Amino acid sequence: MPRFLWRRLLTTILTLLAASLLVFVVLNFLPGSPAQVILGTQATRAAVRELTVKLGLNQPLWMQYLHWIGGLLTLHLGRSYISGQPIAPEIGSALSVTAPLVLLGLLVGVAVAMPTGVVSALRHRRASGTILAAATQLGIAIPNFVLGILLIIVAAVYLRLLPASGFTPWTTSVVGALQSLALPAISLGLVEGAILSRYVRTAVLGVLSADYLRTARAEGMRRHQALLRHGMRNAALPVITVLGLELSGLVIGAVVIEAVFTLPGAGSLLLSSVANRDLIVVQDLVMLVAAVVIVTNLLVDIMYRVVDPRIGLGS
Amino acid sequence: MIGGRPWKRSPVRGVTAVAAVGLLLAACSSGGSPGKAQPLKTLTIGSSNVFPPTLDPTANASQAIDEVIDYNVLQHLVQLAPNGTIVPILASSWKVSSNNQVFTFTIRKRVRFSNGDILTPADVVFSLRRVFAPSSTYPYAKVFDVASVATVATDQVQVTLASPSWEWLYDLAAYSNGVILDPRTISSMATDPVGTGPFKVAGEVTNYSVSLTRNGRYWGYLPQVAGVTFRYFTNPNDLNAALQSGQVQMIDNLSTPQDLGLFKSNSAYRVTAGLTNGKVQLTLNNAYGPLQNKVVRQAIAYATDKAAIIKAASGGYGIPAGSDTVPADPYYLNLSGTYPYDVAKAKALMRQAGYGSGFPLALTLPPYFYAQLAAPLIVSELGAIGIRVTVSTIDFPLWISQVFEGGAFQATIIDHAEGRDIGNYGTPGYYWHYAQTAQVAAELRAANAAPTEAGWIAGYRQVLRQITADAVNDWLYIIPNLTVARKDVVGLPSTAYTESLDLAYVGLGGSIPAAARSLGFSS
Repeated sequence: MPRFLWRRLLTTILTLLAASLLVFVVLNFLPGSPAQVILGTQATRAAVRELTVKLGLNQPLWMQYLHWIGGLLTLHLGRSYISGQPIAPEIGSALSVTAPLVLLGLLVGVAVAMPTGVVSALRHRRASGTILAAATQLGIAIPNFVLGILLIIVAAVYLRLLPASGFTPWTTSVVGALQSLALPAISLGLVEGAILSRYVRTAVLGVLSADYLRTARAEGMRRHQALLRHGMRNAALPVITVLGLELSGLVIGAVVIEAVFTLPGAGSLLLSSVANRDLIVVQDLVMLVAAVVIVTNLLVDIMYRVVDPRIGLGS
Repeated sequence: MIGGRPWKRSPVRGVTAVAAVGLLLAACSSGGSPGKAQPLKTLTIGSSNVFPPTLDPTANASQAIDEVIDYNVLQHLVQLAPNGTIVPILASSWKVSSNNQVFTFTIRKRVRFSNGDILTPADVVFSLRRVFAPSSTYPYAKVFDVASVATVATDQVQVTLASPSWEWLYDLAAYSNGVILDPRTISSMATDPVGTGPFKVAGEVTNYSVSLTRNGRYWGYLPQVAGVTFRYFTNPNDLNAALQSGQVQMIDNLSTPQDLGLFKSNSAYRVTAGLTNGKVQLTLNNAYGPLQNKVVRQAIAYATDKAAIIKAASGGYGIPAGSDTVPADPYYLNLSGTYPYDVAKAKALMRQAGYGSGFPLALTLPPYFYAQLAAPLIVSELGAIGIRVTVSTIDFPLWISQVFEGGAFQATIIDHAEGRDIGNYGTPGYYWHYAQTAQVAAELRAANAAPTEAGWIAGYRQVLRQITADAVNDWLYIIPNLTVARKDVVGLPSTAYTESLDLAYVGLGGSIPAAARSLGFSS
């Protein structure tokens, strides 16, 4: 394996470790003791003390950290402070909503961005191209939750095409689950697609004025032929970078969209765990999101090499 | 030890309750459904509560757990009916010793848990001992003061209190600490609490819903639904839309009373404003500078217009509180006339206390609607007598650690939702730092040792008068429990004196037994 990969892998691991330390420290500074939140305002002091000990929250912080991180390394996410249940199935069930939502959102985004970006670049001197570019500007300006509420009103309340909120579990009905995810994925994907479309447009425009494309045209290739053969790879580089960033945007956007559509996903789990001071669940979830983002970055770097072998990073 | 006075607290009511339950038992032996059998439907309830953090009410104080599990899945020896009476449930009868210290319960026969296990007196002893065990983490400081619990006959359990109490039986009935558990199922309580109630847990989807199905082994009247699903909504608008679009058939506890207009004028829905134990109060830190002065606290009580606050924060529903008591309390006193809205009087008191030019006051709010809606009025009303209020809002865990535990606050608005919680005024170090705590504690103890109910009531009323005269807090109003249900939902409790939403008689269409109506379930 090339040295570049080893170095990137090492950086990734160090970043993850730093992230875990940050998450742990910040969350443990969050005021409000889990034991007190669990037992409320009417419990005896003895009961609160007893629970603090039971949860292991009377141990020194460094020991709690080591215990947690040791668990993560051996794939033991621990047990929720609040329900006493293993966390892994809880996160798994939340991810069965959020992961498809994010992927569908990405799909919608790419499906929107690629054609609109390329077409608005090819026609950038014509009215149709300008209108398309203006439309994507509008898409960027609309926050995804506003779009979500608009979609609920139009598609669910007036047209009654799709459910307004809620989630049908995959085990009950795959079609039902997809139906529950359709509107949220569209509201998530359209906005991200609009942003992505701008980058695609800029990248294609840059390629169109490149020397090698002019040479290809001079050799007798038609414009779209030249673009497909020589242009796409070059235009893809900035788009892949943005796509990597967009993915983390989608994960964060999903937190908001899940609230709008009352979906029982990772976003809802994160919010309720913060409210309940179920710190260990919050730690696990934030680490998961951090890991997804960091690993995505790693994949993007590897993709660079695949798309453009000239990038010799580190050798 | 046992006196010859069964049903001591209220003999007449007690006996009627037994008769009523007897009638219900007779009525239910055929399943309780008249006419030809139709497939039962599932009732879906939209709740404004947070999703229950666990389904074990003995491990967490969240009201969302009691709403679903208490009374419906897990039952008590005695329970509080919606009309406020204590009724026999897993105890078929009970006796109280003349000094109010020894309670002997006869355990109901032929009761099974939903998993088929037979309820035994040993299960009752196990459950009650679990409350006050040294390692207990039960969420309420109630039902704790027990010296011993033991089986005294094949079907009897005897509880001896550490000291006499007129409150203990009520606490056992009203607080979820009183649930009777199957000792063989303790390890699965968080996800599948097994009880003797009319429903059993069918499943849950985290942060989304909890489903109950009818317990076919139930010993009493079988509710006329196949099951009940609670769905959780963080946004009131989503909840209202779900009722309007038919995704849910009722809303338990509408948190935004201003939305009532959507349903009040629509004949398809029924709006119920049930009485609760919730006292919304402007809590004053009696240890903070100007608030140490009783006269200043009285000025604040005169300066706040309770009627206007009820209108703004509670859509006009709710009644003025006046003190730490609600009409359901046996010792209730309507003291809401003590400090009528009178700005001139309030200003005069401020001058008398030496604060003619006012003082700054920080109002720290929890994120709840009632507090947010009442705050602007409080700010302007206190501003009128020179108190310059600055408002900040913090999340509830922070409120608990900073305001409630730390006592680091000047004033806050909070709903004290627990029933008969006057004992807080005798709790040393309680967050409002009342100066006469020790004296109140002694008075409450003396009242509980009174040989007659009248003596106990008189003692408690004396405490009420005292804390009201001292204007310890500014009691604003008694918060209503607003439910909105489709017309065909029957058998709902007409009040919310407990945190449970008691669904023992719920049905979709049809009618409910007359005995249930007399206990306060709506027809």
